[in-house]
Amino acid sequence: MNVGNGPSTDPAPLLKAEGLSKAFGGVQALYDVSFAVDAGSVQAVIGPNGAGKTTLFNLITGIFPPDQGRILFAGDPIEGMAVHRLVARGITRTFQNVELFANMSVLENVLVGQHVCLRTGLWGALGRWPRVRKEETEALARARELLKFVGLDDVARDRSGDLPFGWQRLVEIARALAARPRLLLLDEPAAGLNPVETASLGELLRRIRAQGITLLLVEHDMSLVMDISDSILVLNQGRKLAEGTPREIQKSSAVTKAYLGAAG
Amino acid sequence: MKRSHVRTLIFLALVLGWGAFARNPYHLQLLAVIGVHTLLALGLNLLMGFAGQISLGHAAFYGIGAYASGVLTVHLGWSPWVAGPAALALAAAVALVVGLPTLRLTGYYLGMGTLGFGMIVYVLFREWSGLTGGASGLVGIPPLCLGPIELSSGRNGFWLIWLVVLANFLLCERLIDSRMGRALRAIHDSERAAAAVGVDTARLKVMVFVLSAVMAALAGFLYAHMMSFISPSSFDFMVSIRVVTMVVIGGMASVWGALFGAALLTMLPEWLHVFADYEMMVYGLILMVVMIFLPQGLTRGVMDLYERWQRSLDRSRPSAQS
Repeated sequence: MNVGNGPSTDPAPLLKAEGLSKAFGGVQALYDVSFAVDAGSVQAVIGPNGAGKTTLFNLITGIFPPDQGRILFAGDPIEGMAVHRLVARGITRTFQNVELFANMSVLENVLVGQHVCLRTGLWGALGRWPRVRKEETEALARARELLKFVGLDDVARDRSGDLPFGWQRLVEIARALAARPRLLLLDEPAAGLNPVETASLGELLRRIRAQGITLLLVEHDMSLVMDISDSILVLNQGRKLAEGTPREIQKSSAVTKAYLGAAG
Repeated sequence: MKRSHVRTLIFLALVLGWGAFARNPYHLQLLAVIGVHTLLALGLNLLMGFAGQISLGHAAFYGIGAYASGVLTVHLGWSPWVAGPAALALAAAVALVVGLPTLRLTGYYLGMGTLGFGMIVYVLFREWSGLTGGASGLVGIPPLCLGPIELSSGRNGFWLIWLVVLANFLLCERLIDSRMGRALRAIHDSERAAAAVGVDTARLKVMVFVLSAVMAALAGFLYAHMMSFISPSSFDFMVSIRVVTMVVIGGMASVWGALFGAALLTMLPEWLHVFADYEMMVYGLILMVVMIFLPQGLTRGVMDLYERWQRSLDRSRPSAQS
């Protein structure tokens, strides 16, 4: 099935950050960070705790604006834009601790995920014209397809909060895909998963990428990062430490030093 | 047909049956008042049960609907059919002004805002005596008429009010089972995640608040023309609390629960005349007991108990079928 917009042929970077800085009180969480994510690629952001990964994530997803710098998405500046507008432009995300609509069914979660793709407003909901019914039927079919894509079509009617944690994460990914994103941000997608689940997550992420969706993930699990990333950005104490392919990063002595804290 | 529809139809059949056969005008009026309260509870339930926002001043919108239509018909001689829509529009505009600043913030700011707002509106009703008749009330509100047929009192009043309730009931069910309703429930579960899937949470909360205010004003409009007399005490803080209690007892996020809560809390004072002085305490006690033992509301709680009982029956005879 096709969950995205088809493989992208655009060679320009989909996301470009220029000189991003953000301070909280006296703490400089991020200082002059620039990087670019190519359309259709998998970009990972790694770094020790407190490196500024979450801050970077929150800047891109519109939780708060940067103090300085620009964020360009498909060529347009998006810094400081409201979260729901970013989703409409094609940026969706998952949360580190999984934030589902716990009292709603798995299917309903994915239906809510399609919010920006559907048009029914207050009057349409009350009137339930033929157009609204048609849209609803199509939305249901697409939600079913997405659940099949992540392998959860058997539990579509279950209350999402009752699922095991690993499945909840998959529901969240399906929900994020439902908005037809061009860029999907994943905040530590392997956190709380066992090695088997992590391996199948890696396989799922590859299938998502094959749909032409660009992935940006913050991750601690190095085996997953090295396995699926095209490019890795390393942050340390709010600054960019290194950037390169998994092979280059593995060889970099600066990265090893930051992680292991080795002197010299 | 869905089970919820069956339950609703049974309840409505009971009410309508009672209405058709009731001879006693007191019973008819009691049923009409239950209908008015059901409208109030339905509207507040949209806000509380589905969007997870609380309004402690819903009686103010109820009062605005009643007084605006009352003043326009009594003092300016407007037809109720023109005054009614004007009253609803006024309530919507006021809700927008109250809701816009408070609903942009997350948390219970709306609760605090509406609490103060309800008090202010009550004082206005009582003190602006040139317009509202003050504490002694506004008298001589004309009935709703369609040509020579009087629609707003007696048996006709009962039919009119329950027709409006039924229409609102169906509209609420439609709203909830739609893109907008799903987004509302999503806000209730996690506002952060709702924004992250592209729901404009602030706008949607304001929208549902305005909608619920308009439903309260509609209830007020019907009440004023049915009673032909209104006084500030029908719209004080106690009434707001009573509507909140109806929603909680009926079970939040259940359209059917609004009917049940409204019916129970309207009839309770009639049955418990002895407790008139302790009304506030009785409500407090009911709220506490329901929240502690049946947090899903009385209807949901009783259904859960019933299901548990069924399951235990199934378990006690494991050999029978599968």
